[in-house]
Amino acid sequence: MFFRMIIGAFQRQWKKMLMIALTVALGASIATAMLNVMLDVGDKINEELKAYGSNITVVPGSEAVMSDLYDVQGNEGKEEYLGEETLGEFLTIFWANNITDFAPVLDTDVTVKNKDVKLVGTWFDHHFEFVKKGTTYKRDTGIINLRSWWDITDGKWLDEAKLSGDNYAMVGKKLAEELGVKAGDIISVKGTDAAESLEIVGIFESGDDEENYIFSTLPVAQKLSGNTGKYKKAEVSAITSPDDELAIKAAKNPDLLSGDEYDLWYCTAYVSSICFQIQEAIPGASARAVRQIADSEGKILEKTELLMALITLMSLIGATLGISNLVTSSVMERSAELALMKAVGAKNSQVTLLVLTEIILTSLIGAAAGYLMGYCFAQVIGQSVFSSAIKMSGMVAFLVTVMIIAVTLVGSLPAIRMILRLRPSEVLHGGH
Amino acid sequence: MKLLELKNITKRYGSLYALDNVSLSIDKGEWIAIMGPSGSGKSTMMNIISCMDKPTEGQVIFDGRDITKDSRRKLTEFHRDKIGLVFQQFHLINYLNAVENVMIAQYYHSMPDEKEALEALERVGLKDRAKHLPSQLSGGEQQRVCIARALINSPELILADEPTGNLDEANENIVLDLFRQLHKEGTSLIVVTHDPEVGEVAERVVRLEHGKIISDKKNKQFIE
Amino acid sequence: MNKKHRMFVRMVLASLLRRRSRMIIALLAIVVGATILSGLGLIYYDVPRQMSAQFRNYGANVIFTPSGSSEMNQTEIEKAVAVFPSDKLEGYTPYRYENTKLNNLPVTIAGTDFSSVLKTSPYWHISGELPDADGKALVGKKVAEKFGLSTGDSISLRNSFTITEETDLKDIPDYEIFTDPKTGEKYCDHTLDLKISGILETGGSEEEYIYVTPDDVSYLTLSSRSCDIVEVSVAASKDELKAYLDEINNKSDAIEAKPVKRVTASETTVLSKLEALVLIVTIVVLALTMICVATTMMAVIAERRREIGLRKALGALNSSIIAEFLSEGLVLGAVGGIIGSFFGFLFANAVSMNVFSSTITFRPLLIPAAIIASVAVTGIACLIPIRGAVDVDPALVLKGE
Repeated sequence: MFFRMIIGAFQRQWKKMLMIALTVALGASIATAMLNVMLDVGDKINEELKAYGSNITVVPGSEAVMSDLYDVQGNEGKEEYLGEETLGEFLTIFWANNITDFAPVLDTDVTVKNKDVKLVGTWFDHHFEFVKKGTTYKRDTGIINLRSWWDITDGKWLDEAKLSGDNYAMVGKKLAEELGVKAGDIISVKGTDAAESLEIVGIFESGDDEENYIFSTLPVAQKLSGNTGKYKKAEVSAITSPDDELAIKAAKNPDLLSGDEYDLWYCTAYVSSICFQIQEAIPGASARAVRQIADSEGKILEKTELLMALITLMSLIGATLGISNLVTSSVMERSAELALMKAVGAKNSQVTLLVLTEIILTSLIGAAAGYLMGYCFAQVIGQSVFSSAIKMSGMVAFLVTVMIIAVTLVGSLPAIRMILRLRPSEVLHGGH
Repeated sequence: MKLLELKNITKRYGSLYALDNVSLSIDKGEWIAIMGPSGSGKSTMMNIISCMDKPTEGQVIFDGRDITKDSRRKLTEFHRDKIGLVFQQFHLINYLNAVENVMIAQYYHSMPDEKEALEALERVGLKDRAKHLPSQLSGGEQQRVCIARALINSPELILADEPTGNLDEANENIVLDLFRQLHKEGTSLIVVTHDPEVGEVAERVVRLEHGKIISDKKNKQFIE
Repeated sequence: MNKKHRMFVRMVLASLLRRRSRMIIALLAIVVGATILSGLGLIYYDVPRQMSAQFRNYGANVIFTPSGSSEMNQTEIEKAVAVFPSDKLEGYTPYRYENTKLNNLPVTIAGTDFSSVLKTSPYWHISGELPDADGKALVGKKVAEKFGLSTGDSISLRNSFTITEETDLKDIPDYEIFTDPKTGEKYCDHTLDLKISGILETGGSEEEYIYVTPDDVSYLTLSSRSCDIVEVSVAASKDELKAYLDEINNKSDAIEAKPVKRVTASETTVLSKLEALVLIVTIVVLALTMICVATTMMAVIAERRREIGLRKALGALNSSIIAEFLSEGLVLGAVGGIIGSFFGFLFANAVSMNVFSSTITFRPLLIPAAIIASVAVTGIACLIPIRGAVDVDPALVLKGE
């Protein structure tokens, strides 16, 4: 009988039930979309912040402290280098997936048209493969993503995959003006160890000192300077978590952390733990956070996440009030029907149970539809703002379900109180 | 003088005949009770008389004018000028107090006037309850407000649908006394009821069954 | 106002005031909607400004360099900086670089204004303190590692001048004259004693310098040459920035103002994404909230079908019923809109305080906008069910229980 009454209720008032389900669906879709966007916004903004370039630099280790300080000539001129074979280690660390780009850099002084200039050898858009213990690591990486602010004023980006050989270069705008060269020209470059002819692929504008440099491939710089298989510095761009107290404590000295703290720190993508892992992987290297980038990233991420969290909170409160409001009004509307049930002898508990079952069933149907709608909204937001999908978290589905049930119950409370107070005679007599 | 004439009225709902070729004529000042069991077509007849429904076939002539062909808007205007309605469930607006519920009929008819509305309430013996909301009034009091509302625009016809259906005996008598008084003053009354007592006090009783008039006679107390 | 209008007002007010529980439900829905509307609206309009200030963490986005022959002196700098509105200018810091020697090894010193340096380089990590007076130095971490220096140490910078016949030794205080044993050249040494007040860590090239006050640089080099570069941090969009820089470049012969492309270009990229994010979130949430408000209003109206039937039975024309219900809705919408925009402002301000630690810019225009929007939404939400209800046959409505 109970089920027949419930089915009956759905059949008779499907329009009202539909309205409740619709409102619940709207609320649930707001909650789903906002929670998912909120949980994913950190990663998304972090990817956008990669526009600022690398946030970690890796240089040869700190044995650079001069052994004989008071030697007049010192060991000036003697430079430290890292071996090219260490580059693969970036892909083997715990947080390797957070490293979005990295590029080795080897700069050397060269002479072009009787002018002393700096030539930087690096990767532009390099296809990199590395085999370690039977696993092959692959990555396309280079400064094309680490110099997002460069404008190519002539020619195009140096595309290593499309060009055969290594003898290509990109020249800074200022230097190009001084040398009177343009894209397509061939320049001969004389280094400390060798001379090479380079074809200029593009001219770039960067707004900083790099406009005075020549950028070429790593092998060219190695040949010119006689540093085969070596690089001087690596620029690394990694997605990191904003620094908190633990990170600050660890940055001073990881050894001072307790075991649990250490594990937590090591397994969180703090810039300091990624640096630490790079140093572990490449002995003799020193990985340092570029404070200008890493700190600002942290602050902006923190602000964005907090902002989104508060907007989400507001939307959730709005959705919650909206749903419970409608549930209250729709149960109140049925006071006459419920009074009639009481008049024919239904107990308070029976009426309440009936109403709650109806409402919660309706809400759950609405919530399911709302989750799907929310999924669509989240993807619309993701695609239109970040041109990528928003990750859907399973936790959100659970949270939204719990929220909807709780909200529906709370929304029914005033209605249930009304049912308990309802005196059938009054309702059935007094119009409505 | 004829107030209302129903000529060969048929009302079909699909294949169901709610009224089947019914003719009825009512004089001005008459008090008619329309009686019959549920489903006999009482309500349909009442709706057609009150201009809230149109017959499938036939003519309704009110005050010498054929209203079956009038537009909805015209019908609405016509009905609010000529007819006052009394309902079984009173149908008072629950957030308006007694006098406001009377005034609302004036409002839609012409011009609301609180003094007149209070006089109407006084006439049904509710002057001191004028500021009460329907929920603060008893069933009988609510019905009297409803009658005051029906009276306020001095209609030519009062149409009451089971006016005593929700009332106890004492209140029923008050309402019937009011009808008697209205009748004496010359107001035409049509009361739809299944209550024989209400039928007995009317001047003329029309019995309906299966959409047809099965009897139409004057009550003896009115036969001079 | 004639009696008819008075009755109209009386009915609308009675409906609003005497049906308290339903009206509270409707009002609550509208208040929630208007709160979200005005709150998100305020946030949306304020986010670019607030976020732009956060992006100043990246430090200077403009640099001044001397152009041509004339010197970039203090007056010229101040004149140029005055182009930026004071509420947009975070700060500016001059730098003057000179080569000198520490322990006979070449080092670069930079003279700067320590009072503003953290405004243009907020990312500097300093262990110890910024120098607060002449005679103190901030040492880059690389320099400190190279020379084994730490906070509290004293160092002595030494500058040598070759003495030629033109050299006026009167300019040089406390000098010592040496003669090179090989070449016979005479030179004098000029030293500057400094106490290290802090070590600078940035992960960038700043770590290779020793920072001192401009006066100390002048003292050491015996030259009061003006600075080489001025870093400026301005909270402005790309286009605004371009306009300011054009103005400076037109006005001043001494200064060439350039944007720091890395910072400005990236800021534009990220900030535009953030703005788009907040915009689309605002639109989605608003649209959904407004539909929510509408369904609640529809439920509240749909409940009154019988009353609409009665009014029709009393001879009301459809248009007057619509007018009555609509004005009820509009009153509710207006009241809800006013309350909602107040709460929305409180909310937006709380968000702003929590996230950006600054109050939100109040935009008076948003209040009428929120009120108009809630009146419009409520009006539409009322119209839909009323239009359906007035077409209903009053006889049927009045008959049914």
